Amino acid sequence: MGRYIVQRLLSSIPVIFLVTLISFSLMQLVPGDPAIMVAGLQATPDEVERVRVQLGLDQPFHMQLLHWYGNLLQGDLGTSFLLGRDVLEVTLERLPVSISIAVYALVMTLLVSIVAGIIAALRQNSWVDQLVMTIALIGVSLPNFWLGLMLIVLFSVHLGWLPTGGYVDFREDVWGWLQAATLPAVSLAMLQMGLLARITRSTMLEVLRQDYIRTARAKGLSESKVVGKHALKNVMIPVVTVIGIIFSLLLSGSVVIETIFSVPGIGSLLGSAILRRDYPVIQGGLLLVAAMLLLLNLVVDVLYAYFDPRVRYRNGK
Amino acid sequence: MSRKSLGGVALTLAGALLAVTALTAGEAKAAFECPVKGGDLVFGQEAKVNSLDMHSSSTISTRNIAMHVFESLMTRDEDNNPILELAESVETSDDGLTHTFKLRDGIKFHNGKTMTSKDVAASFDRYNKVGIERAILGNVASWEAPDASTFVVKMKASQPTFLEDLSSFSVPIVIVPEEVAQADFLKMEPVGTGPFQFVEFIADSHVKVKRFEDYKPNEAYEERTGFGGYKTACLDTVTFRIVTEPGARVAGLETGELDAVEDVPQSSVPRLQENEKIKIVPYENFWIHIATPNFEKAPTDNPLVRRAIATALDMDEIMEVATDGAYNTNFGFQQPNRKVYSDKGKEFFNLKDPEKAKELLKEAGYKGEELVLLTNKDYTTMYNAALVMAEQLKDIGMNVRLEVQDWPATIATRDKQKDAWNYHFTGWGTNSSLGYLAVFKFLAKPRPIYTTDLESTDEVFDKAYSDMLSLPSFEERAEAFARAQHRVMEHGISLPFGWLTKNQAVRANVHNFVPFRIPRMYNVWMDKES
Repeated sequence: MGRYIVQRLLSSIPVIFLVTLISFSLMQLVPGDPAIMVAGLQATPDEVERVRVQLGLDQPFHMQLLHWYGNLLQGDLGTSFLLGRDVLEVTLERLPVSISIAVYALVMTLLVSIVAGIIAALRQNSWVDQLVMTIALIGVSLPNFWLGLMLIVLFSVHLGWLPTGGYVDFREDVWGWLQAATLPAVSLAMLQMGLLARITRSTMLEVLRQDYIRTARAKGLSESKVVGKHALKNVMIPVVTVIGIIFSLLLSGSVVIETIFSVPGIGSLLGSAILRRDYPVIQGGLLLVAAMLLLLNLVVDVLYAYFDPRVRYRNGK
Repeated sequence: MSRKSLGGVALTLAGALLAVTALTAGEAKAAFECPVKGGDLVFGQEAKVNSLDMHSSSTISTRNIAMHVFESLMTRDEDNNPILELAESVETSDDGLTHTFKLRDGIKFHNGKTMTSKDVAASFDRYNKVGIERAILGNVASWEAPDASTFVVKMKASQPTFLEDLSSFSVPIVIVPEEVAQADFLKMEPVGTGPFQFVEFIADSHVKVKRFEDYKPNEAYEERTGFGGYKTACLDTVTFRIVTEPGARVAGLETGELDAVEDVPQSSVPRLQENEKIKIVPYENFWIHIATPNFEKAPTDNPLVRRAIATALDMDEIMEVATDGAYNTNFGFQQPNRKVYSDKGKEFFNLKDPEKAKELLKEAGYKGEELVLLTNKDYTTMYNAALVMAEQLKDIGMNVRLEVQDWPATIATRDKQKDAWNYHFTGWGTNSSLGYLAVFKFLAKPRPIYTTDLESTDEVFDKAYSDMLSLPSFEERAEAFARAQHRVMEHGISLPFGWLTKNQAVRANVHNFVPFRIPRMYNVWMDKES
């Protein structure tokens, strides 16, 4: 297992290289001049040119790229054009914010959708099943920015239970964090809940038709033991498979949700960096997010071994 | 404002600076006193703040906060006239080559140090190195600090408009301590002389400032005026919270989490007006909606086609759709309350005459060439304006295509691909607000939007613009501005649609919040209960 993990980590390096190369190239292709964004629209051509030199944008593409990789090897992700701050510092400030909300949304997604999916499967074709699947369908269909605004209107404006936005660091005030993070997390989680509940339901239905479940029932085991001990672990295999994908979707969905709820996370940082052509932040932010997702996928793959004993990681296979 | 300082400003505007001019502050009268002191006002700000370095950031969001922390030698009053701020007086020599500023006494920086002319010189040094609008100092030969309270600026050539330029609030030359002025681009610490001092900046979340207890208000005035005057911090703290989503800003105001907000969507205004706990304070003429043509691509290379387009358009319809009704279609590139206001060129504006436009198109020999409207969705008002304009032009038989990109991309396309667009949609806010000297900057050399060929710029406009900057008296410059405006309309160098109203709003317990280009929190106080 240890060797497998090391091999996977090493194989991540070319992936990271490709991600950064593609993003660097794409940014150069997209129209928009960071020098004008920094100098301001009122700047004269001379002023814009001075800013361009100041930012190193007068260098040819390959030189900028080499310079960036050279700095990366020394752990330097550069300086933001617009914030004037170290990119690593800025992104590391924001990542915990986004991760904390994404984890909250993930936990919510797993708890709600697995329970709902299992109940729906066990009560197949009953009104309970219909209700769960209808709610799941609504969850899948609602755009999260609209849902976010509706949640603000209901829970903040009308009921006054939760704040309309902002963020409280969970290390400073857990209750404050919970209050501030709940609406963004629900907005993010609704879509994933719907998807995962449907996956869980269909997987559970398939598992319940397997011979070993029939055998367990024939042995006279209680329904709770059949479901809890024999079925659930098998249901978890496809669920674990999609956890990585769900988490990455939760993180990428945060661009919109962080804007609506005024959350200073990585999504909001990258969104504004793209709009203002702040290349170093885009590049550095994508690098860190890509690295984090690769790591997450590795964790998911390792979890397979726990849920499915047939999966063994030997010699990298 | 005192009479004497008003007179001084008038002198400045009148261009009497060729003679020895004294711009001196007046005597003190009963000054403003805070009826209530205390409280934390939370302001919902629409745009993110990239930096608080007022020398190196040109964004409005920076200015929103930094104008509470920093001050300059000169600034603008409520009617946009230049006034003194950290300077007590300024004298200009007969030949117009020397401006001598006397600094106000006992001004403290937020770090406790007393301001001297060395700090002013160091601030000018830094601005000249990294300041976004250092072109202001382009005609300055040198500056010096002969004694602690005197600062002298020597010009290369006489420039009657120099003090007006110096008072610009766009990217002002704010005065900071000498040691702070050593900072690199975008890295200056927010240490100024303003009524509020910096507490914390959590990027994309909020900026907090608190009352500066050693602040010395400008006693030449009785009240706040524009960015200057008698300023005092009634509030303990102000938190500028970044809330980019308009719906969330409105919700925050309704719940009381936010005490004041900027840019309330017009669609929310009727509902908020029914809420007795909220006051809507519209700021009219926030920016002028505009499309600028490209003279290097057919069919807008033809003046008659541009005239036909201007003749066809119904600006009321365009502005109504673009802004949901938060607009006016008063003509002019300056607000009617400005001394320089002129309606020259009005005969070419908002004509709503499609039949006449069709005749002009025929006369122009228009043969169905594609007309590309370059717009963006980052500013929905610009996108909506383009949509309506496209439909109105299709009605007169034009072949119109909308090119929608994001805002930075439209700027790059506009500047670098002259064959890709005919009209670029934008809005002039700061520049129109700064006054007549700034408003036509985008149409003038060295970077006129309408052409890249500096040999083929419009001579009539260029002459009027040059006169506007160089003629000695205000009256002459104002007349040159009127000529420039007329030419812009007559020749279709720019296509104004109308003025946007920016709705600001406060909770009912917030007092003396007067809408302005930048929200001002000095001289604003709060009752405890909303």
